[in-house]
Amino acid sequence: MSKRYYTCLFAGEAGYGVMSAGSTIAKGANRNGLWPFVVNEYPSLIQGGLNSCLVRLAEQSIASYEENIDFLGLFSQQGFDCYADKLSSDAIVLYDPATTQVDKSKVPAGALLYPVSLASFIPKGGAKIMINSAMLGGFCALTGYPKHIVIDTIKSEFPNAKVQQENILIVEEVYAHVVSSLPSEKIFPFDFQKSADPKILMNGNEAISIAAIKAGCKFSAGYPMTPGSSVLSYLADHGRNFGLVFKQAEDEIAAINMLIGASYAGVRTIGSTSGGGFALMVEALGFAAIAEVPIVMVNAQRGGPSTGLPTRTAQADLNFVVYASQGEFPRIVVAPGDIEECFYETFRVFNLVDKYQVPCIILTDKYLADSSVSHLPFTTDHLTIDRGKIFEERATREEPYLRYQNTPDGVSERAFPGQIGGRHIATSYTHGEDGFYSSGNKEYAINEPTVVVESMDKLFNKLPSMENDIPGIKLHGPADADLTIIAWGSTKGAILEAIEQATSLGISVNFLQVVYMSPFPTTAIELVLQSAKKTLLIEGNKTAQLGTILTAHTGYKADHSLLKYNSRAFVPSEILAKIKEVFF
Amino acid sequence: MSANDINVSYVPTWCAGCGNYGIINALKKAMSSLNLDLEQTVLATGIGCASKISQYVNTYRIETLHGRSLPVATGVKLANHNLTVIAEGGDGDGMGLGMGHFIHTARRNLDITYFIHNNQIYGLTKGQTSPTSDLGSITKFTPAPLGNVEQPINIVKMALNAGATFVARGFVGNSTQLVALMIEAIKHPGFAVVDILQPCVTFNHVNTYPWYQQRVKVIDNMEGYDPTSLEKALSFATLWGDEIPIGLYYRNIRPTFNESLPQLSREPLAKQPLDNIDIAGLMKEFY
Ligand SMILES: Cc1ncc(C[n+]2csc(CCOP(=O)(O)OP(=O)(O)O)c2C)c(N)n1
Ligand code: SF4
Ligand SMILES: [Mg+2]
Repeated sequence: MSKRYYTCLFAGEAGYGVMSAGSTIAKGANRNGLWPFVVNEYPSLIQGGLNSCLVRLAEQSIASYEENIDFLGLFSQQGFDCYADKLSSDAIVLYDPATTQVDKSKVPAGALLYPVSLASFIPKGGAKIMINSAMLGGFCALTGYPKHIVIDTIKSEFPNAKVQQENILIVEEVYAHVVSSLPSEKIFPFDFQKSADPKILMNGNEAISIAAIKAGCKFSAGYPMTPGSSVLSYLADHGRNFGLVFKQAEDEIAAINMLIGASYAGVRTIGSTSGGGFALMVEALGFAAIAEVPIVMVNAQRGGPSTGLPTRTAQADLNFVVYASQGEFPRIVVAPGDIEECFYETFRVFNLVDKYQVPCIILTDKYLADSSVSHLPFTTDHLTIDRGKIFEERATREEPYLRYQNTPDGVSERAFPGQIGGRHIATSYTHGEDGFYSSGNKEYAINEPTVVVESMDKLFNKLPSMENDIPGIKLHGPADADLTIIAWGSTKGAILEAIEQATSLGISVNFLQVVYMSPFPTTAIELVLQSAKKTLLIEGNKTAQLGTILTAHTGYKADHSLLKYNSRAFVPSEILAKIKEVFF
Repeated sequence: MSANDINVSYVPTWCAGCGNYGIINALKKAMSSLNLDLEQTVLATGIGCASKISQYVNTYRIETLHGRSLPVATGVKLANHNLTVIAEGGDGDGMGLGMGHFIHTARRNLDITYFIHNNQIYGLTKGQTSPTSDLGSITKFTPAPLGNVEQPINIVKMALNAGATFVARGFVGNSTQLVALMIEAIKHPGFAVVDILQPCVTFNHVNTYPWYQQRVKVIDNMEGYDPTSLEKALSFATLWGDEIPIGLYYRNIRPTFNESLPQLSREPLAKQPLDNIDIAGLMKEFY
């Protein structure tokens, strides 16, 4: 039997607690046996504009959202205008007639339109935001979602007893009002059961943040930029108990240079930003590379170019992040596809950057960074720290310490300030083994070309073992499928769900997920493509950036492509439609 | 610490007669009279003639990007607050690209020391106008007849206004005073700035040794001198012309940024253990 889903969407202007209504339902469901997926959409505004919170529920694990709305809770006209065409055939629409006019001709014939004067349930002088509790009362009555779960969740989310009571009272009153008008009690399509094994409801940025803490990151610096900021605010808040210092910097240039300073002094570091902030960091990215100072940087993509679309999703920074540099240097670029990969790949890259002394970019996007999904807690027993080659303190030594000693694998021992016997210069200049600048000084003048070649080769000698250490791709589905989807990053969830549906229709599809963009997993990809019968490239950008990189490395060109750059994430139905199109 | 230990085997590439020689000698003297543990000292420089000083002093050193010595030094200090951290670079490095960092590091009062080699010119790029170049300066980028038409930045004034808690101006031609200022600056708990007047004999033919010599005046003997008063310091800072006061303008103790962080009340971040960090509690918050 194919999976069943139930999708609720709350929409209204900022200030009505749209997100809070959605999150109450999602948390309640998550604690009671269901698997929610939560997508928030909001403009870059403080007042007004349309906010929406979509909560999609399933009885088993869930990978994607889909805009097939079963319950639409409206706080404003815009909400209706935007989402009326996304209602399922028997959808329920709850609205306040004082703010919202619903045009029956725009909704499916089978839809139930239910007006409730939500605002009238707020006690005199009460905060406008309590209207979301009125919405929740009506939601429970109309859908059969257990009211006691909503009430339990409110109790756990509002520490203030008075606020708790006020909100619960509103839920009860609206519930009673609506139920009394219904012919029979509604029954929610799924069973709720208090689960013995708790699940986490977490978004990508949160998964990255806790992985950084687990990896022993002790310093972070950054400048706010949506959608990267919430990694920073999480670390600022929760990092303290783990001895982590977060420093808000004056700009992104300062931020990355602070990370470099801290890492040079021996600390694991992470930053987080979006494309515009990353652009400001590029010079220092090369500094980290040539000085061989490991850093981890999150770029949560948003729409671009320039200020672009601050709060909307895109996958259009791939080329930029992979190639950003003056000069050439190896780097790690990883594009997690879901929160599990956000967690485990973040932990992994902390070890990899120390091992190879290179910078790393974790490339996510607004959709992954900001959407919460239900998941079993991450197991961490098997995770171990590897700091790579670290200089051992010694008072006397026969040989002088060479920070950038040439070695077969290109990696040399790092000494940290304070270590006895490890004094050296780390530098942004191209340098010899002792870190000394290769140009112009009489000691180096004659053999500068040799030193330059050695220093470049040293950096690139790291590549072969880096490539071996990196789980560059994942192949999902049968090896001999008739169609191979090639994609990366947050499109993963929608693709997996679309494949499930395609399989149930008898179409055999697999999915080549490129997880590491640099070093590019050419060999592994070629192996898969050798036996691929037909390929479909799916990306959230206009110019097929992965496609270009793939062609550059392998000469391969995908047979078909599906590119989306309308500022919203892929949904399974549009991918399934494309699969059918190329298949039949 | 032996005097030899502070030297590296490389020979500086500064022009003969360059003020940077005087500065590196003063720095070495200051370090050795403080008996600084060189293993516990980090020198972070930018890029420029001045910044090359990190190539010639045998501490832990990080030669950063043009203009970025202060944020790198900030990271170093926060990662290991037991280290003595000195940032150093030219006037262009610090007052051009680095200006934002300068102001913010000052207002944070991070416990680091910042020596600016102020030759009022871009030396390494062979003679362009600097943010501290005087009005009318003729350089490659502001040629005659107009010369520089922008008001120069007065580093001392800027530091005072931004909240630095130790502000001084030295002159490389007065080495005794410069060494003393460097010693006090390194000892100062908080952000200490020394604006060091440094002739560039190759590209700045106006602000020469004699030019400075005729104008500098030891501030300690000037009327009304009181380094505990910000107001007084600011009024001395306005003097730039026939008289240029050199010495300690201002010193004040206020809590440093690093002291404000409870995380740094224990071992430095760089010494914290990384193994077996328990995140079960964090995960529970997502149930
Ligand atoms: C981002 C960047 N821009 C420009 C340069 C070129 N550059 C190197 S040093 C320098 C100016 C040096 O002037 P200053 O900081 O006063 O040092 P000085 O050489 O005078 O000691 C410039 C513009 C650079 N290295 N990096
Ligand atoms: S150019 Fe000027 S600052 Fe640079 S080394 Fe020569 S004299 Fe010194
Ligand atoms: Mg200069």
